[in-house]
Amino acid sequence: MAKILVVDDEEHIRLLYSEELKDAGYEVITAESGFQLLERIEEEKPDLVILDIKMVDYNGLDLLQDIRNRFYDLPVILSTAYDTFKEDMKSIAADFYVVKSFDLTELKKKIAVALETRLPT
Amino acid sequence: MAFYQENPHAVTKADVVVGIPSFNEAESIGRTTEQVAKGLVEFFGHLNCVIINCDNSSSDGTKEAFFNVSTEVPRIYLSTPPGVRGKGNNLRNLFEKVRELQAQAVVVVEADIKNMAPGWIRKLGEPVLKGAGFVSPLYARHKYEATLTNSIVYPLTRCLYGRRVRQPIAGDCGFKGSLAEEFLKSPFWSEAVEQSGIDIWMATTAMNARIPICQAFMGCPKLHRVKDPYAQLAVLFRQVLSTVYDLMAGCADFWRQVKWSKPTALFGVDNQETETPLPVEINLTRLHERYLQGCNDYADFWQRVFDQTLYHKLEEIRSMGLQHFSIPSQTWARILFDAAIAYRGMAESERATLFDALLPLYLGKVLSFVKRTERMSLQQAEEQVESECTVFEENKPYLVSEWK
Repeated sequence: MAKILVVDDEEHIRLLYSEELKDAGYEVITAESGFQLLERIEEEKPDLVILDIKMVDYNGLDLLQDIRNRFYDLPVILSTAYDTFKEDMKSIAADFYVVKSFDLTELKKKIAVALETRLPT
Repeated sequence: MAFYQENPHAVTKADVVVGIPSFNEAESIGRTTEQVAKGLVEFFGHLNCVIINCDNSSSDGTKEAFFNVSTEVPRIYLSTPPGVRGKGNNLRNLFEKVRELQAQAVVVVEADIKNMAPGWIRKLGEPVLKGAGFVSPLYARHKYEATLTNSIVYPLTRCLYGRRVRQPIAGDCGFKGSLAEEFLKSPFWSEAVEQSGIDIWMATTAMNARIPICQAFMGCPKLHRVKDPYAQLAVLFRQVLSTVYDLMAGCADFWRQVKWSKPTALFGVDNQETETPLPVEINLTRLHERYLQGCNDYADFWQRVFDQTLYHKLEEIRSMGLQHFSIPSQTWARILFDAAIAYRGMAESERATLFDALLPLYLGKVLSFVKRTERMSLQQAEEQVESECTVFEENKPYLVSEWK
């Protein structure tokens, strides 16, 4: 079972993602901020991270660069209420960019692809 | 080994090497060398650095212009024998020298860049010293610039090797010194690689070496001293595409296992203003004429290479006229996939015809892209390119199944 880490400062989003993704067969863990996120990833070893961009104390795009530099191939999906962040060059370090919605069809599709991505080692 | 070398500072070891390939660049290599030297002093002053001009035995005083620059950074001049041309040949000499000097990091910049600044050396070199294996630049580009990259090189290499390297034939790069050995022992050197195919060859070799790849955000366009993208189009098209197809044949065990694609790490995106690229004018009527001419000249050849459905699609596109002209992404992916499959089984002489026959289709694809994106912003056009790449990835199972 793939383990997904949801990083979002909005509780209802964490709850929504957790319930829906658990129903879809994933193991879900959550974080309410970017505090010690790299250490958390190191410990929990998630298969994929869903990362909010606009958090109260953290900028998801900066966290994304940190994640990419340390966990080069860890799939990261940026999740945001604003599609304007797509114009920020930093967002291209993400596997996918998804605009938040209560319908998680698109997100689930991207998760499936990101987890299926295979590069020979 | 290089046919000719001048090493006036008797350099035998270096941490950072900057290579400047050239042929008759006396007018511009002085400025480029000056900027490179400033960058090395400013950002890598604590390391042993050397600038190497790898030349094609220029007759216009390139070597003198290179050595005439006043800087404390030592320099080496290498050259191929007189009459031996090509950027790939220049870089092969550079790789050998890098191996000899046991350099940690190598940066390659073209000699004719008008707007090069010292910071470029940092952007291409620092990620390597921090652990990246290969660094590809990300220049600010107009939506109609680098059409060969947008239409062919990026979508194909991304779907084949699974790594999203957006500008793999930009001409400049950084790489770890040990990769020079991989380059030298590669079995895929060819005549095309010795010429302009070298850029995509290096990027692809790096992708196949499973090393971390980084893209360096340059924040500005790259301006060449002379820039006429269509001056050598047919030659460039053949050299680049034949390199892509040769590598496909050689690396099939790797790319057949790859599914979808992954991003790279990024460097240089903090607090970086982006300069707006200059607009690029495109002659739509001329592109359309070239497509129609291709329909007349290569109908028989297309029928042999492509299956009936695809050929009829091309005929259908011909009948649409300029106003409604469009080559759908899926059709384009099939064209490039089927051509790759056909290329494998062809004799060298027939391959030349294949590229001649693909050229009008490529120009048609450029026309299609321009029409599709003419009212789009640069960002929207970029999203269109990304969306076409996804179509390539979605259609890859077809290629895998047909690649016997």
